Amino acid sequence: MSDSEAIAAEATEVATEDGSPAETPDRSSPTTPDNSTDVAPTRKARRRPEIKPVAEVQENTKVEEQPAEAPTPSQSTVSQGGWGYWGSWGKTILSTATATVATVGQGLTQVIEKAETSLGIPSPTELSAQVEDEQEQAESSSETDRAKGDGSAAVESAMGMLSSLSSVVQSTGKTMITGGLDALEFIGKKTMDVIAEGDPGFKKTKVLMNRNSTLSQVLREAKEREELQTAEKESSDSDKKVVAHYGMLFDEFQGLAHLEALEILSRESESKVKSVLTTLSGEELVQLREDLDLIKESFSLVEFDDEEVDDKKDEDGSEFERELTEALEGLSVSATAEKLSKACSSTCSQITDMTKPEQEEEDSEDGVKKTLSVEEVHAAAIRSLAELTARSIELFHKLAEMILFSNSSTEASALSQLTVVLCKEISLLSKKFTSCLTTAGSNEKGDVLNPLITGVFLEASNSASYIQDAFQLLMPIVEISHIQRSAESTEQ
Amino acid sequence: MAYAYLFKYIIIGDTGVGKSCLLLQFTDKRFQPVHDLTIGVEFGARMITIDGKQIKLQIWDTAGQESFRSITRSYYRGAAGALLVYDITRRDTFNHLTTWLEDARQHSNSNMVIMLIGNKSDLESRREVKKEEGEAFAREHGLIFMETSAKTASNVEEAFINTAKEIYEKIQEGVFDINNEANGIKIGPQHPTTNSTLPGNQGGQQAGGGCC
Repeated sequence: MSDSEAIAAEATEVATEDGSPAETPDRSSPTTPDNSTDVAPTRKARRRPEIKPVAEVQENTKVEEQPAEAPTPSQSTVSQGGWGYWGSWGKTILSTATATVATVGQGLTQVIEKAETSLGIPSPTELSAQVEDEQEQAESSSETDRAKGDGSAAVESAMGMLSSLSSVVQSTGKTMITGGLDALEFIGKKTMDVIAEGDPGFKKTKVLMNRNSTLSQVLREAKEREELQTAEKESSDSDKKVVAHYGMLFDEFQGLAHLEALEILSRESESKVKSVLTTLSGEELVQLREDLDLIKESFSLVEFDDEEVDDKKDEDGSEFERELTEALEGLSVSATAEKLSKACSSTCSQITDMTKPEQEEEDSEDGVKKTLSVEEVHAAAIRSLAELTARSIELFHKLAEMILFSNSSTEASALSQLTVVLCKEISLLSKKFTSCLTTAGSNEKGDVLNPLITGVFLEASNSASYIQDAFQLLMPIVEISHIQRSAESTEQ
Repeated sequence: MAYAYLFKYIIIGDTGVGKSCLLLQFTDKRFQPVHDLTIGVEFGARMITIDGKQIKLQIWDTAGQESFRSITRSYYRGAAGALLVYDITRRDTFNHLTTWLEDARQHSNSNMVIMLIGNKSDLESRREVKKEEGEAFAREHGLIFMETSAKTASNVEEAFINTAKEIYEKIQEGVFDINNEANGIKIGPQHPTTNSTLPGNQGGQQAGGGCC
């Protein structure tokens, strides 16, 4: 339970870190209100589907790990299946961390080589081997941590944590090289601490890498933490502030339930596909494997450029509706899509309402217009993001049911197109909301406004991740549907 | 809203017996005479109080259509309670109960509490299945029984709440292992007052990891 408190602390930590431009250049824009509309909240989320760079990094890691030991088995297994996203993603961070440490190690040897002659210290190879050993220990200890990982993996803060993790390691490296030999102990102990214990983000990443922890579990636990916090606040805080909790709202819109149901269908389909594969042999098996590879390919090619997302367009959400209808053509889930469109257009009109009174106020300053507080704008933004994400997950769930039910040919490309449309919309709306925030908070101090803006971007980024993960859950469903269809056609 | 327990329910039965209407009446307290055909599963949730404890009911309202059966069966697992519904004005929906029951027993945990519901009790003039028949079927198969009307809201609350009471009693008796989520029961977030000493104790992060 103390965990929840700690995580709350972490969350604020992320917020403040992100608020300072020096820490993470990626997110520096929220601090400068003029630029804030250019920020792409989903940029980070977008990275994960890019398979290529991950593969490259993986190769790098392998090379670096050779002197030590082969990668731990669990590391290689996590990157399989539906959770491959998390797996390879987590691995990237892991490799970034190890890569940094390795570089630091090299720098060290140079320093040592110079100092060695005068001080008579063990050979550099011995020392660098020690670094590697410790690194290994760190990894294995994190392995055990993972097992008892509390699953409280707030996906929310993971993003920010990662960048902070690597920056910690990086800056540690700098200090070390300039600081000379004392730093050896520092890097050995500190890096290990940072990697294994000190950085909660890493811990969380490991939890995410754990295949047993499903997305709905992650979200459910995030929601439960929020519920606890709310309860604590209610009992202690007397002043009433508008606080929006993404996880709780997501559950309220039945996002969790739909996600759980989608996971059930995905899991069952996955095991069906596996059992079909074991029964086949020879040419049939080769053919099926080829087909499945094609399907897998179209599931790994989700990418969209949010630089292109123009926040000027789509005032009323009609464009989104058109794109949504286009993407869903022939997928017969109109009722659910309608719900999503409605949620979107009501969000759009909300934003329009928020921006209008501001403009009018400029014209007539004496007009007693009710302007929303920054907290209220923030709450509206979080609520909208939670609703849209829940509705998107619902849509994916309904799609899964329709694919299994109708067994009609479903193009994976249509589904990935849908994912892009949804993520774009999330990105667009978060931009609009943050510009509302900047306007509403023009008189507020940066330390009030910045965490709120960061919060919106963070949840938007998470929303996009959830949507992309839900999209991945569809893969086994499309696969089994394909298998059943081809079985029917051969029978005839 | 914090809750002590969360129970997962499923509602099953032939198409058109009023499953979605029962849910709507229970969660929204309203009746919708024309309802869209349910695709796969839809959801509803409501908080109730039993023995002074807040209990959240998470209800999975399944499609009754035969063609959806292979999908909806996947959802049975992990339910603590089931509402098996038939329409008192349509004998065939009563005749299909055995199949539904077999299906439910086969695809869910053995302790699942099943409530048999004869719905549309407001349509007395068109009744085809006598109340005694429903009672007899329930007795024979170890189910709880009630006649309800989603339209007039008669017995709707009772049906959902009595099922929850039965589950709650089973928990008290130790029949349900509440730590096993496959039983359809989840323990709510711990009440803050029980660990109010912890928040100040930042160092407890390690220990906290184990308890969740």
